[in-house]
Amino acid sequence: MSDPELFLPRDAAAPAVGPTAPVSHVAHVAVEASPLGLPSRNLAIWLFITADAATFGAILFGYGYLRVGSPTWSRPFAFVPTILNAVIMTVILLTSSLTMLAATRAAEAGRREATVRRLGATVLLGLAFAGLHLREWFAMIAEGWRPGTNPLGGPPIFGATFFSITGLHLLHVVGGVVALVVIALGVRSGRFGAGHVETTGLYWHFVDLVWMFVFPLVYLMNAR
Amino acid sequence: MAPAGTAHRHRLPAYVGVWLALVLIVGIEVQVTYARLPARLLLPVLLGLAVIEALLALLYFMHLRYERPLVFWSVISTLLFVLLMMNQFWADARRLLALHR
Repeated sequence: MSDPELFLPRDAAAPAVGPTAPVSHVAHVAVEASPLGLPSRNLAIWLFITADAATFGAILFGYGYLRVGSPTWSRPFAFVPTILNAVIMTVILLTSSLTMLAATRAAEAGRREATVRRLGATVLLGLAFAGLHLREWFAMIAEGWRPGTNPLGGPPIFGATFFSITGLHLLHVVGGVVALVVIALGVRSGRFGAGHVETTGLYWHFVDLVWMFVFPLVYLMNAR
Repeated sequence: MAPAGTAHRHRLPAYVGVWLALVLIVGIEVQVTYARLPARLLLPVLLGLAVIEALLALLYFMHLRYERPLVFWSVISTLLFVLLMMNQFWADARRLLALHR
């Protein structure tokens, strides 16, 4: 609970200084503490994570449904380059969670420069993940894979499931990178604090968590 | 879970330990995949390892272990219920498989 002031209306938390300080009409309103003990923005991101996890759950169940129902499902991924590339991507994403945690700790300690540096490292790792992912996509597209085309002659739906699941995850990574850049700029200017870094970190770890299911189900289960 | 209000931040070396455990699990997943198990056995093994990874990330990286129990139960039980209900489609997937044979 790094932002206890978030339980209060913004005006109530602002200190009144000097005789000309504005008088807030909400300053004397009693505000109950959150029953969940969470700052409001953390509660909001947890609600988003729950809904988004259900979305990924549904899309992975849909993939599982099609895979179980297709006797000729393709298993196109060789260890080199695809599985090895996916392992490297996984380690990069796990490491980015570590730099994100380091950024959160630096923000809580009030070390602004260290926070920005560690957020920058997380952004670079996120971009590396996205770059490797896109390289893999382009290689598959060059081999003839499309959402409705299977160059191996198996079910054409393979491409649709692969590109939609990994594409949705990639979209989350890119969105997270944009959010991290915005937060880093805000921390550098003093506009954002430790609470903002922590909330963005929850989202980033969730993106990492989703990949923990995408990697074995979409890549390893389809390894040659 | 620890009671609410307790200090809930590890030192970085503890996080590095969790990171190492996660990387190790990724290595085990790859090893298991190339042990050439039948798909019906490989799937539960990989899913089990992924669930362990997800729990480590939830409890330590996302600090759910140190929030109030109510947070854990309201967030996770809702999601588990939704995911559990999705399992009703497997019977239809098997029907589809039988049609193709």
